[in-house]
Amino acid sequence: METNYLLPNKFKKLGWVLFGLGLLGGVYIYATGLTDEFLKVKVLSIYDNQIFGKRSFFKIVENGIFDELVSVFIIVGGFLVGFTKEKIEDEFIYKLRKDSLVWALIVNYSILLVAILFVYDMTFLHILFFNMFTTLVFFVIRFSVLKYKYLSHEE
Amino acid sequence: MKNRLKVQRAIHELTQADLAEKIGVTRQSINAIEKGKYVPSTVLALKIARLFNEPVENIFTLEDND
Repeated sequence: METNYLLPNKFKKLGWVLFGLGLLGGVYIYATGLTDEFLKVKVLSIYDNQIFGKRSFFKIVENGIFDELVSVFIIVGGFLVGFTKEKIEDEFIYKLRKDSLVWALIVNYSILLVAILFVYDMTFLHILFFNMFTTLVFFVIRFSVLKYKYLSHEE
Repeated sequence: MKNRLKVQRAIHELTQADLAEKIGVTRQSINAIEKGKYVPSTVLALKIARLFNEPVENIFTLEDND
């Protein structure tokens, strides 16, 4: 059982903070609708292809980056939670993590398949937006549930 | 696979946490092994057997459907 790709345990708390903040921010964005006025700064756009043909490479534009920050928080936070070492890394935790990953992939793509077949137009675009994060979110949830389940089993 | 881990633990008067600490694994894994939810690796089974000073087959035995 080689787990040298796992980060040190001390980053896990930071992961939860980022993940939680990111999810809260995401709920806020979805509930209020994204106002691009928030946190407007200059950013680097590597590639841009406008609807009516204007294409550009490496341009500096102005963009409200609240949504970008929320997305980065969720992704980085989720990875820190899932891929930092537990206090004791043993073969059982390794199995739990592996099973959670498989479960999250299967669940995420099953839901996506159903959505592809039965949801269309703008609603599907919403689902695609969630789908950016749901694999990771499902993984974090499943891993946490399994860890808690076996932690709370008394003798 | 059947295991007599709980019996061996009782004989040596060890809690799950004690055993886990001595072997260097989590209490969760000891708990999961005893409940039959997890089959330990060969190395872990041998470590447990060595700790209890028993042959491995005295603690872990194959069942017919394995």
